[in-house]
Amino acid sequence: MLFNIFLIFAKLSMFCFGGGYVMIPIILEELEKNGWATAAEVIDVVAIAGMSPGPIVANAAVGFGYKIAGVPGVLAALLGITIPCGIIVIVVAKFFLKFYENDKIQSALYGIRAVITGIIFFAAVKLALENGIIGASENLFIKNGYNIFVSSNQLFELKSIIIIVLSFLALLKTKIHPIFIICIAGGVGLFLF
Amino acid sequence: MKNKRPLLLDIYITFLKIGAFSFGGGYAMIPLIEREVVVNKKWIDKEKIVDIFAVVESLPGAVALNSSAFVGYTIAGIQGAIAAMLGNLTPSVIIVLLLSILISSVGSNPSISAVFNGIRPAIVGLIAYAAYRIGRAAIKDYITVIIMIIAFIGAVFLKIAPIPLIVFGAISGIIVKKIQSKKL
Repeated sequence: MLFNIFLIFAKLSMFCFGGGYVMIPIILEELEKNGWATAAEVIDVVAIAGMSPGPIVANAAVGFGYKIAGVPGVLAALLGITIPCGIIVIVVAKFFLKFYENDKIQSALYGIRAVITGIIFFAAVKLALENGIIGASENLFIKNGYNIFVSSNQLFELKSIIIIVLSFLALLKTKIHPIFIICIAGGVGLFLF
Repeated sequence: MKNKRPLLLDIYITFLKIGAFSFGGGYAMIPLIEREVVVNKKWIDKEKIVDIFAVVESLPGAVALNSSAFVGYTIAGIQGAIAAMLGNLTPSVIIVLLLSILISSVGSNPSISAVFNGIRPAIVGLIAYAAYRIGRAAIKDYITVIIMIIAFIGAVFLKIAPIPLIVFGAISGIIVKKIQSKKL
């Protein structure tokens, strides 16, 4: 069984391009197929994985590994998500650093860097969408939030937008470490929501 | 090997810190990696870190773990990659294990969800700021502005995955540079 856990998480990590939440439907299918967890249990573990700090995939591996087989299950799942991808990354990193100064690579990177800037802006927008901060439907509304509507569609939630703007400005204008901003925002959340 | 040990420990602790404070997955880790690795430790310069994120985006696996492994490898080889990954995983293991054990007895709590309602928008601000910082290294002329806007629109409205967008960026970069070198 431990080897099976390793294989499932190795497979999961190989299929999740760009972001941990992609793997949730795959996890659900695998665990139900093996009779290791029900859909409700999967949702609980995903919630814990999402609210804990750290990579979502790693959090899910710890949560599901523990649920299925205790601490040995955690180890099997962690080895599954780290070993295959770790090897790929190290091989790619080796070639990347070797050919980094090449002219063709540099021209490609000139275009790629601009794309990455766009993708990271997109990541911010996506997080805001997924957490009911902008363009939310009724089931996503933030509890005790102050929603601004345009013709019955939520445009944004005001308290969250204020926190976004203040965090951005704090980073831009001061030298406050991002970790402090996260802690302060957590404390502010306690009063606001 | 012996004089490398403090560096490896330094890498482990740095990525432990990054792991412990990145809520919301891989992209939330980017601003922290940038601050620690580029600004504080000066292990990697600001353009190379953007290129590393670009390569990592196009590899299979968790963005956060792959970034840690790649950055660790760049700083100190395979040992560095392992130190960074272990550091990055340590908080997950401790916190998720504790929560998994606790949550069944305690259940959900409104003050905890209020704290997270405050943290999530701050993370949005952090990621937006990371994009701004990365943009300062990436956006050099009007062509890169156009490429960035196309990528953003492609991701938000057309739901195109990162890899095709990165391929698009690579091809347009090569074509633009080729045309520019012919003009000169």
